Amino acid sequence: MSALSDPWHRLNSGGKIVLPLVALLVLGTVALTVVWQSGLGPALYEFGVATAQANIDILRFLAAVTGILLFTVPAAFVIIFMELKIIAFMNLRLGPNRVGPWGTLSSTIHGLKVLAKEDFTPSGVDAPVFTLAPAVVYLAAVLTLLVIPFAPGMLGYEMELGLLYFFAIGSLGVIGLMMAGWSSFNKYSLLGGLRAAAAIISYELPLILGVMGVVLLAGTLNLGTIVENQSGSILDWYAFQQPLGLIIFFIAATAEASRTPFDFTEADSEIVAGFATEYSGMRFGFFFFAEYVNVFILSALTVTLFLGGWNGIFDIDVVLEPLGIAPLALGDIALSSLGPWLLAIPILVPPILVIGLAALVWMFRSSWGLLKSLVVGFVLANMLVLGAISIWGLFSFDTLMGITWFMVKSFALVALFVLMRATFPRVRMDQLMGFAWKWMMPAALVNLFVTAGAIILVMELA
Amino acid sequence: MTEQQTRIPSLDDPEVLVQTPATIYDTVPPLAPRTEREAEFYTLADGEMFVNLGPQHPSTHGVLRVVLKIDGERIVDLDPVLGYLHRGVEKICENGDWHHAISNCDPLEYVASLHSEALPVLAAEKLLDLEVPRRAEYIRVLAWELNRISSHALFIGWLALDLGGLTPILYGFIERDEIVEMLAALTGQKLLFNYLRIGGVNGDLNHDFLSRLGDWMSRAGKHIDEQATLMNENEIFVNRTKGLGRIDRETALRLAMSGPPLRATGVPYDVRRAHPYSVYPELEFEVPTRNDGDSYARYLLHIEEIKQSLRIIDQTLEQMPDGPVMAKLPRLLRIPPGRAFIALESPRGQYAAYAISDGSDQPFRFRIHDPSFFNLQAVGLLTPGHLVADIMAIMASLDPIMGGIDK
Repeated sequence: MSALSDPWHRLNSGGKIVLPLVALLVLGTVALTVVWQSGLGPALYEFGVATAQANIDILRFLAAVTGILLFTVPAAFVIIFMELKIIAFMNLRLGPNRVGPWGTLSSTIHGLKVLAKEDFTPSGVDAPVFTLAPAVVYLAAVLTLLVIPFAPGMLGYEMELGLLYFFAIGSLGVIGLMMAGWSSFNKYSLLGGLRAAAAIISYELPLILGVMGVVLLAGTLNLGTIVENQSGSILDWYAFQQPLGLIIFFIAATAEASRTPFDFTEADSEIVAGFATEYSGMRFGFFFFAEYVNVFILSALTVTLFLGGWNGIFDIDVVLEPLGIAPLALGDIALSSLGPWLLAIPILVPPILVIGLAALVWMFRSSWGLLKSLVVGFVLANMLVLGAISIWGLFSFDTLMGITWFMVKSFALVALFVLMRATFPRVRMDQLMGFAWKWMMPAALVNLFVTAGAIILVMELA
Repeated sequence: MTEQQTRIPSLDDPEVLVQTPATIYDTVPPLAPRTEREAEFYTLADGEMFVNLGPQHPSTHGVLRVVLKIDGERIVDLDPVLGYLHRGVEKICENGDWHHAISNCDPLEYVASLHSEALPVLAAEKLLDLEVPRRAEYIRVLAWELNRISSHALFIGWLALDLGGLTPILYGFIERDEIVEMLAALTGQKLLFNYLRIGGVNGDLNHDFLSRLGDWMSRAGKHIDEQATLMNENEIFVNRTKGLGRIDRETALRLAMSGPPLRATGVPYDVRRAHPYSVYPELEFEVPTRNDGDSYARYLLHIEEIKQSLRIIDQTLEQMPDGPVMAKLPRLLRIPPGRAFIALESPRGQYAAYAISDGSDQPFRFRIHDPSFFNLQAVGLLTPGHLVADIMAIMASLDPIMGGIDK
């Protein structure tokens, strides 16, 4: 049989994709109808729903962990890109500018490159520990995100002892670093791992003591409640009641994330790459990602504890109200509340959206014709509208605003971390320890006592 | 007979290597110690271990290898191992004629190679008792001082980079890049210039060079001040360098140190003033000194020296005479027999040469005295007792260039 008489080979490549999909659709519809009509389908469905409802906590936990794991990867990409670009700006360089507009995709390409490299284990290492260490470091970083509230009611796992859980899991990362250091069969790795272990003893105490003032004020370890306590105006943020606590916490957090000026665990000019010296490929990538995820997480925790979490810097309603826009939530879709703006939506928004997107596309791809850009803009506009509608359906306006404020504040702190990296040299290990024990510990204790005294005083007066 | 059976395993076969028990990681029995000092150094006390710093390490400048004996993070002892860049420059110089010696001496101090290439030039001129045209002397001084600034700008960046600061190295490279570009316009090269000639220089000042120089001079002072504000008052930088690697005057003199590390101890020894050469006696500049003798003093001294070099450049441009840039010399240059010692102040200290001529066109003996080698000796005295992180701050502040040390 020649190739031409074979109907499959006579299809073009698009047909080879579409035809199986159509066949699958038809077969699936027929199968579903048969199963449903025979009574087997409803029974299975009932069973599935019942099982899911019985194990709703486990399902929710799994969904939360998966969601957070998926969230950390793009977050790390964004932070790496920010770091490349901001440090380049400080160094009077251009920074990445080849892949994607303004080099935005360069960190993604780095990630893919690392993924494509050989998974190499040097001979002489303690292989099981060596393999496990990156996973421990990365998971310890990721799992702490479970208790951070991104928006009202939107957090991975509601936990009364959220803050305690955060510090407990966060400290596990150091065990991973020590595992990497010990198992690598390399003296630089060993020094790096030991530096990490020695440093955590020094900075973990001021880190936790610095937060204790907030815990006293809030009266809870639940991070969601701590954020709710800060709602209202910007002056209700704990940063204004605990400025010393904020400073202590931020310095200790810099050390916890082992960022410049406290990056001696991986000091490249002293101990090559510290604990990561023998790692390559995606195993190194996990360490690299974990560092940036840690930066985000500690910024997020600082925002949660001191800077109002998902509370806005100003009240968004004050801006929206004069425009005649009332925030819409699922359940009370009252389009009539838009008033005259209702007419504008179908007439003005689609063309503006399509033309705006087409103009953007045209700017980046000047080799494209205007018509091609318009087509792409039309497709993009449809995707955007679909995305907006699904987000509108899934999340309420408060949730969206909460996420926006939270991300804005967190990434502002991340930018501060990056600026610090571009500015400061590295402190010596004994200097950090001296600073932690001689200055930060007493300051944190004073902060704690003053806060406790003030609370007692207020309670006595009331 | 199957394929498996015909296969003869070799020791290099990866399969064999994997299947052999990890004996290759067993301690290699060391060579018998040659000196008492070696025997003492290579004996480990309880809790001590060796760490090899270099020859491939992010922060050893060049290919210096330092064997550290550490107890935890604290350095107990150290043993610098030299010779990874040894080329036998002195012998190469003796095998070529005097002109070849210029390009052979170029890579000795590859960061400021106009200084190291001046060694055979000055030696030959002294042996010839040659009057170099004054314009050529002024051009030499101008180029030397530009090169000194480019070297010092890198020093500042390197010191910061070894302490973990990312930004100053790039600010230093901005200065160096501009200077290197203008020297490329003058000499045709960016790193190993090969510009000086016996009896003058290769080529007069040109428009490209002068326009670049004027452009840069209009903002050089400001740039240096900017760079200084970035680090002078930086709390972390000062804490890392102040009081670190402190060496006193007597020790520095005993070790024959020179250049900024010696002047940081308070000895105002600068070859440009102590044993003047070229037209330096006609120029106004100071020899800055500091009394602390630590890494921070060495850093501050470099900043002050950059400012003095800018002063010198200003004066050379003002006083630049007209005239030829090469003395009239025979094509085949035979240097009269004799011995000559010449010294000049390179960015790292006293660069000197002792040349013996037997009357032929080749040097009979060409001994090179490199300041980095003598400055680096201090590492052995300064680092024991400090932490591993400090050896970078000390070594970077002594500013060794391995090209000259290994020769």
